[in-house]
Amino acid sequence: MTDTNENWIYVCEADSIEVEDLKRFDHENDTYCIYRLEDGYYATDGNCTHEEFHLEDGLVMNGEIECPMHQGIFDIKSGKAKSPPACIDLKTYQVKVDDNKLYINL
Amino acid sequence: MSKEIIIIGGGQTAANASKTIKDSDKSYNLSIFSNEDYLPYERPPLSKQLLTSEKKIDDCLFYKEEFYNENNINFLPNTEVEKIDFKEKLIFTGDKNYSYNKLLIASGSKNRILNIEGLNQNEIFYLRNIDECKKIIDKVKKIKNILIVGGGFIGLEIASSMSKLEKNITLVESSAQLMGRIIPEEISRLVYEKHSQSGVKIFLNTSLKSARKKDQQYQINLSNNEKIEVDIIIVGIGALPNTDFLNSSDINIDNGVVTNEYCETSRDNVYAAGDVSNFFHPIYNSYMRLESWKHAQDHGINAGKNIINQKKNYEEIPWMWSDQYDLNLQLTGICNDYDQKVSRGNNLDEGIIFFFIKKNIIMGACGVSKGPKIGKDIRISGIKIKNQEIIDINKIIDKNIKLQKI
Repeated sequence: MTDTNENWIYVCEADSIEVEDLKRFDHENDTYCIYRLEDGYYATDGNCTHEEFHLEDGLVMNGEIECPMHQGIFDIKSGKAKSPPACIDLKTYQVKVDDNKLYINL
Repeated sequence: MSKEIIIIGGGQTAANASKTIKDSDKSYNLSIFSNEDYLPYERPPLSKQLLTSEKKIDDCLFYKEEFYNENNINFLPNTEVEKIDFKEKLIFTGDKNYSYNKLLIASGSKNRILNIEGLNQNEIFYLRNIDECKKIIDKVKKIKNILIVGGGFIGLEIASSMSKLEKNITLVESSAQLMGRIIPEEISRLVYEKHSQSGVKIFLNTSLKSARKKDQQYQINLSNNEKIEVDIIIVGIGALPNTDFLNSSDINIDNGVVTNEYCETSRDNVYAAGDVSNFFHPIYNSYMRLESWKHAQDHGINAGKNIINQKKNYEEIPWMWSDQYDLNLQLTGICNDYDQKVSRGNNLDEGIIFFFIKKNIIMGACGVSKGPKIGKDIRISGIKIKNQEIIDINKIIDKNIKLQKI
């Protein structure tokens, strides 16, 4: 049976993202960040909730993504804003890996 | 415990200190005395999206009015503090006085004034607050020719914004390079080229000799003997700590209110933070006064914690940025105390960063790129500075090696 809420979109080869790093993924008119942490893959919206700069050049460290523009910090797994100027959480998305192919559920 | 806290100043430091205090304990009585008419707001857009009308004031508030209401923060706009009696713990504003148990001085900085022979001050425009920004917006709607005095961040950001509005811009800088106080010459030159390509006419080593108003225009004599005619003169030549109201008070002032690493001043229960504070930095083992967005935020948070006895020392590494056209400049640490200067990257698309190194420890890093490409490496540099890491210079300059892997 197929869950109608699932819409898995192919992103990239899973091993093309290094551990503690991220990749930008654009789909239709939206943009996302796909992260690889020690314990797996995660995804959030691509733009910082503070001033809409893309997080693709941000620093991934200790499970957090830091905006390259103003250093707002978000928890990658929950999307929670952890440090000002970020105060609105990032939306998160499910990801899965199947035979080294990485998918995002949009 | 005594609960009456007053913050003098209604800017970013006040916003962050008050949030820190109220997040911890809502029962504190907290008042903010601001000499402006607006709730605390972001100042960076003043020279960028507010000036070009891409943003509205409401977009720039740190917190909406509900935040202050819900947290029972007493925000007093248009309130000028005249003096403080530290012995009696009293603040005087006009005909009223207020008592405090704990006080945070976060009065920020004020414009350095330029006297121009032949002109009154009311003919000259500055940019530090919303009212000054509105005055410039109103004036430039009707005119074409702009003179900017000062080639620092503010002057250059104004030039960048005004060139979007298709104005004729002349910028004069009295020293030999743009942003000369803090930015390496190589980056300064790239920024100079960007402004020149965008049509901004820049005169270095040049100052204003005199000006004369003729009809609605100003005839300007420059020190390089050029004569120009402009419709508005905007001055951005730096800032001074806002300590005038403390002149008759007994508190240690030296290039701002002197504080230790806990934001404590020379008076008991009186703290200072942000632009107005000349604070002791334990990592650099020296005093410094910073005028930057990140510092105003972090120092405010630190002051908030110390005020409510969550004692914490402040050792954040300085960090600042500037946006001009599509260029993003970032600087971390201090860039004037080094024995080696090396660079990483060689083009604006990927970013160029200069590292200032002393005894194999990064003291400061400054970079420029199209968009915030350099953001990550600058941030990692800040971490390395904070940790006082001994670094391998050959790896730092190799763009193929990720900085966080070193």
